[in-house]
Amino acid sequence: MILRKAKGKHIEGKKQMSRCQPLQEYFNPPFVYLPLVHQNVVLKHVVEVGDDIKVGQTVAVREGFGAMPFHASVSGKVSAVKKVWHASGKMVEAIEIENDNLNRMDDSIKPEKNVEGLTKEQLIKKMQDAGLCGMGGASFPTYVKYMAKCPIDTIIINDVECEPYLTCDCMLSLNYPEKVLKGLKYFMKAADATQGVIAIKNYNRNVIEMFAILLNDYPNVRIQEMNDIYPAGWEKYIVEQVTGKTYEKLPSEAGVIVNNSATAAAFADMVENNIPLISRIITITGEGIQTPQNFHVPIGTKVAELIAKTGGYIEGLDTTKSWYIAGGPMTGRAILIDDLIVDYPLGSVIVMPMPEEKDHPECLGCGRCADVCPVFLTPTSIKSAYERKDIAAIGKLNAMKCMGCGLCSYVCPSHVEITDFVAKAKDMYRKGAK
Amino acid sequence: MARFAGGKAPFLRSVDQGGQDTKKIMRDFLIGLIPVILFAWYKNGIQVYINGDCTIWEMLYPLAFILLGGIISMLMEGLVFVITDKETRSLKAIMQKINLSFAVVPGLLIALILPMYTPIWVLVFGCFMGTVVGKMLFGGFGHNIFNPALVGYLAIGFTFSGLIGNSGGYLNPSEVLVDSYAGATPLGTLAMFKTISWDTLVAPYGTLWNFFLGTIPGSLGETSALAILVSFIWLSARKVIKWSTPVIYVGTVFILSWIIGIASGDSGLWFPSYSILSGGLMFGAVFMATEPVTTPKNPLGKIIYALLLGVLTVLFRMIGNYPEGVATSLIVMNIFTIPVDQVTAEIRANGITKKTWVKAAVMLLIILGIGFYAVTKSVNTYTIFVGFFGGVM
Repeated sequence: MILRKAKGKHIEGKKQMSRCQPLQEYFNPPFVYLPLVHQNVVLKHVVEVGDDIKVGQTVAVREGFGAMPFHASVSGKVSAVKKVWHASGKMVEAIEIENDNLNRMDDSIKPEKNVEGLTKEQLIKKMQDAGLCGMGGASFPTYVKYMAKCPIDTIIINDVECEPYLTCDCMLSLNYPEKVLKGLKYFMKAADATQGVIAIKNYNRNVIEMFAILLNDYPNVRIQEMNDIYPAGWEKYIVEQVTGKTYEKLPSEAGVIVNNSATAAAFADMVENNIPLISRIITITGEGIQTPQNFHVPIGTKVAELIAKTGGYIEGLDTTKSWYIAGGPMTGRAILIDDLIVDYPLGSVIVMPMPEEKDHPECLGCGRCADVCPVFLTPTSIKSAYERKDIAAIGKLNAMKCMGCGLCSYVCPSHVEITDFVAKAKDMYRKGAK
Repeated sequence: MARFAGGKAPFLRSVDQGGQDTKKIMRDFLIGLIPVILFAWYKNGIQVYINGDCTIWEMLYPLAFILLGGIISMLMEGLVFVITDKETRSLKAIMQKINLSFAVVPGLLIALILPMYTPIWVLVFGCFMGTVVGKMLFGGFGHNIFNPALVGYLAIGFTFSGLIGNSGGYLNPSEVLVDSYAGATPLGTLAMFKTISWDTLVAPYGTLWNFFLGTIPGSLGETSALAILVSFIWLSARKVIKWSTPVIYVGTVFILSWIIGIASGDSGLWFPSYSILSGGLMFGAVFMATEPVTTPKNPLGKIIYALLLGVLTVLFRMIGNYPEGVATSLIVMNIFTIPVDQVTAEIRANGITKKTWVKAAVMLLIILGIGFYAVTKSVNTYTIFVGFFGGVM
């Protein structure tokens, strides 16, 4: 239907900033802080203060839906359980581990002898035991996707990275392309899929060419080039572009599972060397950073140390008039104190000066927000329903479909915080519906 | 540890990156009015002066009249700000507020849809009704339900329409001298004779080419389809308006008029062309049906709105009391903006599902129903009159 065709919008990427510097590894932070919260679920910690910890040892477990363990990212001693700033914008409890810099490995970390002989069930078990979760932002437990009952024929690796500024996935593909492809191969085996697809933006020429050379060894894998629009990295959009199919709730309805490229790379390590999810690549960038670049770090590293390694903030940065954004600039959160820790879904930290404040006129009702909405909502109607506290209307307007991509606020000529209004309306509906 | 500022995602805004903001939209809208204003001045001032029917000072009158409309409505809005807001005292603050509420637009539009010889105090009255009653009393820019310019225009139409006729009406000094102009405007002729025939409707004004160029009697800004087309292209290219709304509106009127023409016994394409080229249809379609505040916000709503506008315009024109149906149908549709927006937003968000198909069907039936009623009713009216005149002559 012509009225329900998602067009998306080109947004200037500003990715060059952090891409020209090579990927740096930083594996010996003095302390790491492992957050005891995962996807708003409080974790149960299984170690006590004073315990001796090895890399890969289980320190906390998630119970109930998506049950899985979480592992230590460095070796050393548990020195405290204290509150730290977390990417969710709140302070959460975290296990503090003092790094002894010996990198002592847990016994479970050893090369897998019979990689080819692993069955589908064993692979899914590995995902759960290693605590693999989506590293694109939502941090959804990966094994749950593979437990789904629907038959799966295609695995898509999301290497699109449509958020501006971010280059962590691109850096990962440049530095560890083999790992991404191997991860994809194991994912396909775990789901009995016949086809693997790597979705990537078409301007990433060097990454695409590199994958193209390596693809000779992977017969059932192809590359899908995506247009440079936002939100091209949205799951539904990718599935539609790759398979031409659409779905209501989960991609598995269309016979597809979508995983982030960082998740795939981590899975390759898990299958071949039994290394649990203990590290990730993070982009430190923005106009407020001296030399923006990417770091490969253990989970729980303090971002402040990474910023110091880039050379710190630019001279004369007025921090009270700047943003410190956890995540991408379109969907991230402003953190008020620069005391953040690296968490599984945290792909980037962006420091940028706020734009000049101006007087903005009222909403003139042009409808640009409704034009760009990828899920065909009418944000202005949702806003007025929220203002009248009309919960039934919010439901009818399908506000819950909003994924918070932020395009409506981006295009608004009157600078209305329309994305935020829709988010508030969603909250109201959730509370009202209960 | 340093403290940082709070903010809400997304942190990137096209407005901050030099993208299109509301001020630029309104500036482009004003630029879009220039062709129409210039043509109105040419036709009612310069051309008349070249013909030798007026003095050089009278030549400037049409332009002054239009600009005066804008100035009056700015003054009135400034006055409202002074009265309602005790803190707005300095000239600078008032100017800033006027700037942010785009006070000049309704006044300019009112002046453009009035005939040239409207007494100035009637224009002042129209601007008062438009900006103060139609806009500021509703809460100012962005909160008005009715198009301010139309509120002003209709207020004048209901009260002082006779006065306008007495003081010169629609005909400029050159046009007064032409004997063949029976009614004031082509649409006036249609309302008077109720007959669809080339000889009474088009022939007195020359050919349809004159309708297109705009050298026929009418309000200041509405006559020239050519000038409005230039504005339309500019506004669409600058993405100030959606091109689809005027096209659907005018297209609906064209098709319905054609059907009426065929049913009344004249299947020529001249009648639908005459219908869309005469009166304020083009002007209303480009400058008023696209007015963002008082029309639906979502794309589907805009299409439905334009369709309904076309149907209503034909209905009001053919069987209403007044010759013109554009302003009335626009005001009527302003009332229905909120329900249309709500229903179409629901349909758009959910797709046509079991829940929404009833609504979609009802909406479609309403459009078809009114359209059918308009066509049959006006065909009856016209065929009777055609027969009547045929019998007499």
